[in-house]
Amino acid sequence: MSKRQLAMVMDLNKCIGCQTCTVACKTQWTNRNGREYMYWNNVETYPGSGYPKNWMELGGGFDAAGDLQEGVIPNLEADYGVPWDYNYESLANGEVMTPDTDPTWGPNWDEDEGAGAFPQDNYFFYIPRICNHCTNPGCLSACPRDAIFKRDQDGVVLVDLDRCQGYRYCIAGCPYKKIYFNPKISKSEKCILCFPRVEQGLPPACAQQCVGRIRFVGFLDDQESQVHKLVHKYKVALPLREDYGTQPNIYYIPPTEAPPKFDAEGRIIEGSNRIPVEELEKLFGPEVHRVIKTIKGEIEKRKETGKSEILDLLIAYQHSEMFRLDNNYYQEIAKGNVGQAVHPVDERYVKGAHTKAISHFSVGGGHH
Amino acid sequence: MKKILLSGVVAGLTASSLWSANIVATKVHHSLENISEVSPLWKEADTAEVGLYPQTTVKMFDKKANEMNAENGSKMAKVQALYNDSEIAFLVRWRDNTLSIQKGYRSDSYGDGFAVQFAKDFSNPETLPYIGMGSEGREVLVHLQKAAPNTFEPNGHGNVALQVGRKNTNAFNEELAQFDADVKKAGVVDYERTFVSAGFRSMTEIKDGSVNSDMNMVYNIKRNCWKGTLNRPLKDEYVNLDAPAIPVAFAVWDGGKNNRDGLKLLSGWNSVTLAGKDGGDALVSALNDAPEGDVVNGKAQYEMNCAACHLTKDIQMTMPNMAPELSNIGGYASAGYIRESIVDPDAVVVPGYNRNAHPNTPWYNVVDGKRTSTMPSFSWLDEKSLTDIVAYVKTLKAEEE
Repeated sequence: MSKRQLAMVMDLNKCIGCQTCTVACKTQWTNRNGREYMYWNNVETYPGSGYPKNWMELGGGFDAAGDLQEGVIPNLEADYGVPWDYNYESLANGEVMTPDTDPTWGPNWDEDEGAGAFPQDNYFFYIPRICNHCTNPGCLSACPRDAIFKRDQDGVVLVDLDRCQGYRYCIAGCPYKKIYFNPKISKSEKCILCFPRVEQGLPPACAQQCVGRIRFVGFLDDQESQVHKLVHKYKVALPLREDYGTQPNIYYIPPTEAPPKFDAEGRIIEGSNRIPVEELEKLFGPEVHRVIKTIKGEIEKRKETGKSEILDLLIAYQHSEMFRLDNNYYQEIAKGNVGQAVHPVDERYVKGAHTKAISHFSVGGGHH
Repeated sequence: MKKILLSGVVAGLTASSLWSANIVATKVHHSLENISEVSPLWKEADTAEVGLYPQTTVKMFDKKANEMNAENGSKMAKVQALYNDSEIAFLVRWRDNTLSIQKGYRSDSYGDGFAVQFAKDFSNPETLPYIGMGSEGREVLVHLQKAAPNTFEPNGHGNVALQVGRKNTNAFNEELAQFDADVKKAGVVDYERTFVSAGFRSMTEIKDGSVNSDMNMVYNIKRNCWKGTLNRPLKDEYVNLDAPAIPVAFAVWDGGKNNRDGLKLLSGWNSVTLAGKDGGDALVSALNDAPEGDVVNGKAQYEMNCAACHLTKDIQMTMPNMAPELSNIGGYASAGYIRESIVDPDAVVVPGYNRNAHPNTPWYNVVDGKRTSTMPSFSWLDEKSLTDIVAYVKTLKAEEE
């Protein structure tokens, strides 16, 4: 467990599935050098196969007894999807637009399909997913090289590319399949929670660019932070698939608001909700019932009294109301690293580059 | 710096009646630098058979790979060695029915490979480093060659401009060809690496060029067999192999069965005698003498004392992950190591593994910064029982495929 923990809360009632976060992340980190197929941030439609395909059935994570489970490493063509391109240059010559490969799968292949019968009770909602920067990461536990570590200062889970040898057990061990193999460098890579931005007091790119302003970022132990209030004070934000046992640190406000169902004549069924609560329970656990009740209660309270701190928080008019990061905190840590410039704070990216002896290895068996 | 070559002409596994457990390194007066697998010098060297056994001590977490490797048997590698006043070279041949080279843009493709391991300190043949990448205070040096052509260093050169996709370069024709050439040049074609290690998880790559070695792999399609060579100085700052007898261990990976670390076949420590140098008998004897002892009584003693925690293929009296799995321990552990582990389990406590993955069954605890094995000492056993258990445990190994 790290000394402090950064966390993110995503309000699924507000996510419109525009993929701006996906693009912000991709252009910042994954549009080059073997990462082209990866989406450190993706937005998937639920119900749906997700990304990679059927990730919830690919194993990893811990069982109730706390033992790490076997997992499956997704295939690039069949499960992630090959990044394909089109013959744009030839369109001016009157050719038909065709992809350069014959894709059979890709992220968002089943976007907006959802479930149910149109128009009576069809439904879907969006889940943006990034690495959960778990307190008990499956990837870290599966790595036989100690190449994955959790930063003490903020709990960000990172791959030490000097130690990583590309075995990919981490991919099997992560139940969210949010760590990827980079075939070009033959090492694993993953969401870094934009730590170089966070260290400068900026939120991760996905959160900064979110047009729906659904993402809150801050330290869980900072009682003034929005994430602390939503997760611990009001307890309306829940982790995704907590049953995997990794103690994720990305939390979600479940999609409590959905249109009502229609009857056979197309009339609104009063009081109905298109999103089956059982589905939400599958994702967010039994606590979801309480959260739905709380949020609905707050909406009523707001209607009656005009006041609700939870809704004030969730509305998030300004970036300053969404992010509480601490540039000074990182500056102080950097000062402690003797002989080191301010960046990177994480000296493990520097250590080991020219190793003469066994480096950064602790008796305790890791860096957790 | 060699490439992975395919060859249909090199001689494959040829029969010889001179197999022995000890590897005799023949002294030559030629340079061994850049020695190839077809060098006529190898004709001067004896051939030894080295058993390679499936790593089953710990279980990794790739479900598909575990299924593919569940029934692995052992393999025999044929090993030859040469040395001169300043260098030593090894030729390793092993059968592999699937030629696997880690392919380009794939998430689940693995390459064949082999490794040669040396002990830093082998003055006491009874306390050699733990075979799985050493142990604390008992460092090893590992030379690794993988069939994984064209990889790129992630954070070496800051050549960000070469990292963009070629369609995003705004370059055309000759400029684009130049870009492609520059990218290719930035890649490392030879996946040869050297590591120092003092136990699981501590393995650290040596990147400063302080090891001057060369490895090479050639696959013979006709005979479905790999030939791997290693040549290196007898002496460098990591190991000093200029001795009458040295311990060497080998490992091979089958990419066709999704092999990579943890899923491999490995040998125990083998003795290599440098022909013409006197001495080293203690090491040769420690690694080659058949253990004396009553295997039948040893098994009975094993079931009474060991089987409550350790699983083997045949004796499954406990839950998985309680303790190291011993199905192949006789293949890769020396009698000395087995005895030491029974009498003094704290002597070698391999760090890291099992701590997070199986928190309910820790194999060690950290007390005052020192790892203490959760296994109690069995030093109270009488000498006969101990000898018999060691003799029995030495028989635990997979049959040849």
